[in-house]
Amino acid sequence: MPDVTSELRLPWDDDPEDLYEHAPCGYLTTLPDGTVVRVNETFLTWSGYTRADLIGHRRFRDLLTPGDQIYHETHYAPLLAMQGEVHEIALEVVRADGRRLPTLVNSVLEKGPAGAPRIIRTMVFDATERRSYERELLAARRAAEASEQRVQVLQQIVADLAAAPTEAEVAEAVLRAPEPAFQAASSSIYLVDAERDQLVAVASTDPTTGNWDDMPRSSTRAVAEVARRGDLHVIRTVADAEGHFPDLAESMRRSERRSVVLLPLTTGPSEEQGGVTVLGVLAFSFRDERVLTDSELRVIRLLGQQAGQALDRARLYDDARRREERASFLARTTRALDEEHRLLQRARRLVERVVPEIADWALVRLQVGPAGLVEHHGGPAPDPDRLETRTAEVIETAAPIFAADADGLGCTVLPLTVRGRVLGTLAVRMAPDRRGAEAERLFLTDLADRAALALENARLYEQERAIARTLQRSLLAADVPGTDPRFAVETYYQAAALDMEVGGDWYDAFLITANKLAVVVGDVVGRGIEAATTMGQLRSAIRALASAEAGPARLLEGLDRFCDRVDSARMATVVYAEIDLLSSEMAYACAGHLPPLLHEPAGSPQYLLRARSAPLGSRAGDVRRAEHRMRLAAGSRLLLYTDGLIERRGRGIDRGFEILAREYARLRDAPLKGLTAGLADILVGRDHGDDVCLLCLTLGTEERLERSIGADPLQIALLRADMRGWLAGHGVDTDCLNAVLLACSEAVANSIEHGYSDDPFGVVDVAATISPDTVEIRVSDRGHWRGTGDDEARGRGLQLIYESMDDVSFDRDAEGTTVVMRRHRGPESRVGEP
Amino acid sequence: MTADQWVSFSRRGTAELVHLKGEIDLANANDIGRAIVARTTVADAVLIDLTAVSFLDSAGVRLLDFIVGDLDDRGKPIRLVVGERGAARMTLQLCAFRADLLATDLDRAAAELGG
Repeated sequence: MPDVTSELRLPWDDDPEDLYEHAPCGYLTTLPDGTVVRVNETFLTWSGYTRADLIGHRRFRDLLTPGDQIYHETHYAPLLAMQGEVHEIALEVVRADGRRLPTLVNSVLEKGPAGAPRIIRTMVFDATERRSYERELLAARRAAEASEQRVQVLQQIVADLAAAPTEAEVAEAVLRAPEPAFQAASSSIYLVDAERDQLVAVASTDPTTGNWDDMPRSSTRAVAEVARRGDLHVIRTVADAEGHFPDLAESMRRSERRSVVLLPLTTGPSEEQGGVTVLGVLAFSFRDERVLTDSELRVIRLLGQQAGQALDRARLYDDARRREERASFLARTTRALDEEHRLLQRARRLVERVVPEIADWALVRLQVGPAGLVEHHGGPAPDPDRLETRTAEVIETAAPIFAADADGLGCTVLPLTVRGRVLGTLAVRMAPDRRGAEAERLFLTDLADRAALALENARLYEQERAIARTLQRSLLAADVPGTDPRFAVETYYQAAALDMEVGGDWYDAFLITANKLAVVVGDVVGRGIEAATTMGQLRSAIRALASAEAGPARLLEGLDRFCDRVDSARMATVVYAEIDLLSSEMAYACAGHLPPLLHEPAGSPQYLLRARSAPLGSRAGDVRRAEHRMRLAAGSRLLLYTDGLIERRGRGIDRGFEILAREYARLRDAPLKGLTAGLADILVGRDHGDDVCLLCLTLGTEERLERSIGADPLQIALLRADMRGWLAGHGVDTDCLNAVLLACSEAVANSIEHGYSDDPFGVVDVAATISPDTVEIRVSDRGHWRGTGDDEARGRGLQLIYESMDDVSFDRDAEGTTVVMRRHRGPESRVGEP
Repeated sequence: MTADQWVSFSRRGTAELVHLKGEIDLANANDIGRAIVARTTVADAVLIDLTAVSFLDSAGVRLLDFIVGDLDDRGKPIRLVVGERGAARMTLQLCAFRADLLATDLDRAAAELGG
């Protein structure tokens, strides 16, 4: 039991003396010169001195290190004298055993009543702990500085990574990190090629290190192992490597490396091992054995994640850009192919698009026609035998064969397939880095599909075009009556240039009865096989509807009804005329068509503007069909034509009508044969964008045939055609006809060869008249005859004239030469009999 | 200009058979001549079928005369086959071509040439 009577001392009620002696700090009382006069037990314990050692014997500064003694003199003492106190001065006390005790010192100077210094009270704190803390701080600061440098390097790397748009640039940026950040000697980067299941060494700061072969992901090599495991491997020593990765130990020895870090570049949630995807491995190595601190390891792991993410992003970006490039290429190629309609041109354009944009060589081969079609571009061409073999295989299996490394060919061969049929093949040779990837295969397959469709369409177009052409030709070439001396028909059809499809223009001439002739020119709306077919149907319909009684107006009404059943015939235009060969009366009607142009022997050509109504089957137009009748003088020429003849870009249609009428008049004396072709030539030329169709009818036999032809041997045959018809029209018998034709031809040939030997623009006038018993031909030129008739060839010509005619006279003067030849029409025949 | 529309060729035994058709005149005789000569200069015998010729002028005569002369010089036989009537016969007769050159029957002419 405690004695309740004794003086009770509370635990915190310290004895002042004990408090002084055993305070948690040292106390010293010194004289103003520093001589110790009182010291507590705590200071004695810390310093290892006895009270007797110090009191009266030592000054405070004698207890300090030499450096601090100076500091005491220069700072402590003057400060104390001036301010009367100093605080937290760090001084090291040298203990009795010589060890140093770091302290913090507070001192107060007490003054006497007169203000003179009396004593100094000094409190000494043990600063050992604090010093070590400061040292730690310092070490920490140094570490922080190193870390900061690392962080700066890494920040730069991260910034570089963020800016790197491609996988290659990311790899380059990552590769540059380890040297400045960790003082590595060199580094290398490997990327995972998932398609090929390989690890590919892409870059190194020192390519003399390491093994640079690509390796399968299943390889036992250290890099592959790390890529599979997905976690950081630090190989501190060669011996360390020896145990796990012999290949690495070998390469470390060879390149004199002591430590290696193998860092997987990962993306995905790093916590869950399963979720990490390894995109590559960064390997860096040190010449000395290097111990990496925890913070360095943290930073390294962080680098692996940052680089992994950047790679991932760059790959996505690469993929997106590739996809965009491919999509754009496909779109542009499809458009470019559409611009060409013909098969050959389309095939050509295909290979020219493919090379050089995606391949350095391309060849398209189509199984069309007997010989097939081959177009190629770029080069050099691959081995033809291997290509042949592979192409055959592709056609056989209808499946693409993609280029593979070391396949000896290096080309991808794609089947061009439409609706399950292999139309041909497309072979391309691309840069090796574009091979293999799945996306690239899809792209090529897509390209082949589009190309196949475009080429198949061109083939069909080509086929349709050929069919339409054939159809149209066969319809147009059908028998235009040609032997009746009462009329002559000359036709001309010129297809549009510039690869246009066939148009729906047509002409026709036929006898409705023995004495009634029908002539037609029409134009179906549209082009191609449908227009050609419709044209054929309309042509047949007109032949069926034409009758001795109907007449043009009723025929057009019949065609209107026809349009109700054959809608493609709607809005076709037709000019139709019937000519009574006995009375020379013509009835005509125009359904939306250009007016016929009539040239009678007297006067100038006139457009026939009566009996006009709307195109066939028109719903908006006036389809009350009318016809107009008129009598034609013998020798009249009627021209029917389609709009291609007078419509021309940059020329008004009125002007077109004007020019046609003028040229038609000018050709009044030209032979009928060749007249329509000549008109087309003059009015539209060869380079025109529309079909041109003409029909010229000469009615009746002129009493007098007058023709003017150019000094061109080709014109003689045209003249002969007219004259043959004229002679036949007048009932001249065959022998006489042949003889007159021969004599006339020879006379004209003479004029051309001799009269106009130096004048290609000369004109030969021919006039023929006939009486019941005589044919007279007069041939005139205005040339200058050079030779006489004595050269052998012309001599034979003259001989033929004399032999074939009864009476020949030459009249040659300065103005030119006229030969007049006559032959009796009598039954007696001088030549031609067996 | 090509002469194909007026001239074509075939063989009848050892003879080169030349078919002519259409109108032969100043405008096309040279082209036709070149085409024929290219085939007949080395021929051992030549038959020229003129039955389909609808017109023959002095330029055509000159052409035939040249070919006949060439064959004669080389001692090779030639026959010109013409119809019983018609423009070609008329012109050749007017020019007084040798009767032994003219024939009316292709087969007989070929036989005469030993074809």
